[in-house]
Amino acid sequence: MNKHEYKDLWVYIQHDGKAVHPVSLELCCEIRKIGDASREALAAVIVGDLPESEKDRVLDCGVDKIIHVSGTGYDFFNTDAYTNLFTVLCRKYKPSAVFVGGTIFGRDFAPRFACRLPTGCTSDATQLIWNPETADIEFVEPAVGGKMMAVITVPDARPQVGTIRPGTFKYAPTGRRACITAEEIIDFPVGEIRTKILDFKADEFDESLNIADADVIVCVGNGVKGADQLPKYRELAELLGGKLGCTRPVFDRGILPFKLVIGQSGVVIKPKLYLAFGVSGAVNHVTGITDSDRIVAVNKDPDAAIFRYCDYGIAGDMDEVCGMMIGKLKAGKKLSPQKDVI
Amino acid sequence: MLNILVCVKQVPDVNLVKIDPVTGSLIRAGVPSILNPLDANALEAAVRTRERYGGSVTCITMGPDMAAEALRECLAAGADKAVLLSDRAFANADTLATSYVIVSAARLLGDFDLIFCGKESLDGATGQMGAQLAERFGASLVSSMSLLRSIDFEKKTVIAERELERGIETCEARYPCLFTVEKTNYRPRIPNLRSWRASRFAEITRFTSATIPGLDPAQIGDPGSPTKVPRTYPPEVGEAGMMIDEGSVDRNVEKLLDLLGDVL
Repeated sequence: MNKHEYKDLWVYIQHDGKAVHPVSLELCCEIRKIGDASREALAAVIVGDLPESEKDRVLDCGVDKIIHVSGTGYDFFNTDAYTNLFTVLCRKYKPSAVFVGGTIFGRDFAPRFACRLPTGCTSDATQLIWNPETADIEFVEPAVGGKMMAVITVPDARPQVGTIRPGTFKYAPTGRRACITAEEIIDFPVGEIRTKILDFKADEFDESLNIADADVIVCVGNGVKGADQLPKYRELAELLGGKLGCTRPVFDRGILPFKLVIGQSGVVIKPKLYLAFGVSGAVNHVTGITDSDRIVAVNKDPDAAIFRYCDYGIAGDMDEVCGMMIGKLKAGKKLSPQKDVI
Repeated sequence: MLNILVCVKQVPDVNLVKIDPVTGSLIRAGVPSILNPLDANALEAAVRTRERYGGSVTCITMGPDMAAEALRECLAAGADKAVLLSDRAFANADTLATSYVIVSAARLLGDFDLIFCGKESLDGATGQMGAQLAERFGASLVSSMSLLRSIDFEKKTVIAERELERGIETCEARYPCLFTVEKTNYRPRIPNLRSWRASRFAEITRFTSATIPGLDPAQIGDPGSPTKVPRTYPPEVGEAGMMIDEGSVDRNVEKLLDLLGDVL
């Protein structure tokens, strides 16, 4: 295989017929930068019909090409038809890389078509770098529970396939470019789809589980003694007008649900204020908090890594500090001195 | 009779892995290896399925000799058979090469109707094995499976629930079917003393690259792995933040709240 025959960077545009998934737009923006460095075209792969206004949002990210696919088998997300679709498209067009949002659906079909081609697939990179010497993309990600960073490459196979978690990259469209559209018809026999959706019950909307856009996050880490300690952290979060989150080990201990996990394999947050209680500061958690405006850390271990990332740190007992904060806030202590004047 | 396979992995307890401050390399010595926690949920789902419908549960893993310990844990928790794929030639495999070896060996053991995997491993955490195993088994894929509701033996289909981003999907999938299992409803059982003892003496079937007929050397281990790790480095750490140390918790918190005055 001559990898230099493989050109163009693809982003799969995940959508539900009404709106594009944010992760697809984030990827278009980030991959645009790689395309500028490697002098490759950025192509958006759109399956099925998309409203014009949503297509415009994709174009605004500076895509050079749209590959629009129609045919049977794509009415609902299913691994069988989409695996076939990307296998067929990649064999025909030979892209150098394919990026897929790390949604549950993306993580189902991307490794699968990579296996069928076959080629290498990486997941959850937090940084993408194009190396001009090797012409490979370097997928950088925290490894071994965040204790080190690993550079992963696919040096001899193409395309380089990567799934990337929502929120990893910023949506910052750089404007339109001349864009061509290629139409493809790929029919997948509906009878060969081996899974069928019988029912879907949307989660009852629980605002407390939606932490991605919260202004204030109170995060409990593995230092938390147990579930019985949680009410005070919830109370503190409420007093600050924020929400409760946690680190991965707290979920692993069965204390809080996965939707509250902040970090590489969970939610990426961008609050004005982030307070970490009993959080050690493993990199796979820290990658989810770096866009916070202000970071406060409380940990009984004065050498905890989290103190290297915080603006303000207190070495002390998390429960005691939390309790004291609640006491002072309830007693009328205001965070904002300016408001006191009014 | 249902033929069930569970794919498991032995992992280092990453919470205990330390980094050598001088060389930046991993210090694995003395770090215990454990059964990947999410694989225990997959095993539990498999064993409960057998308890309800009959059949047999086989556990398979690829790893060094000591990975047999993870298999014994599975036997103690209800698996009927255990298979260890161990060979130096399997080392440094990525998910593509690993799935190739596991499926090549599993084919020697029979045709599996249902295959259960954990959602991801504690160490590699790519979460890709399920999808790639399903591809190589030619199986339908039901990821994030939170409840196996029923099996229709005539139609050879399974009805299961999945925990998706915004709700619970109920789907029907054809045999063979591979599940990646959510922990929600499948808390692993604690083995009793008798089953634990029995697992100590249970037989473990072993395969090497030489005893899996037709195994393509180009598709295993490092040569069979398209993804490479050219380098690793310690994470960058920022400048230390300002430590508040006013002598008491009361004064520390008072100071902190003052400092945060301009944030909100």
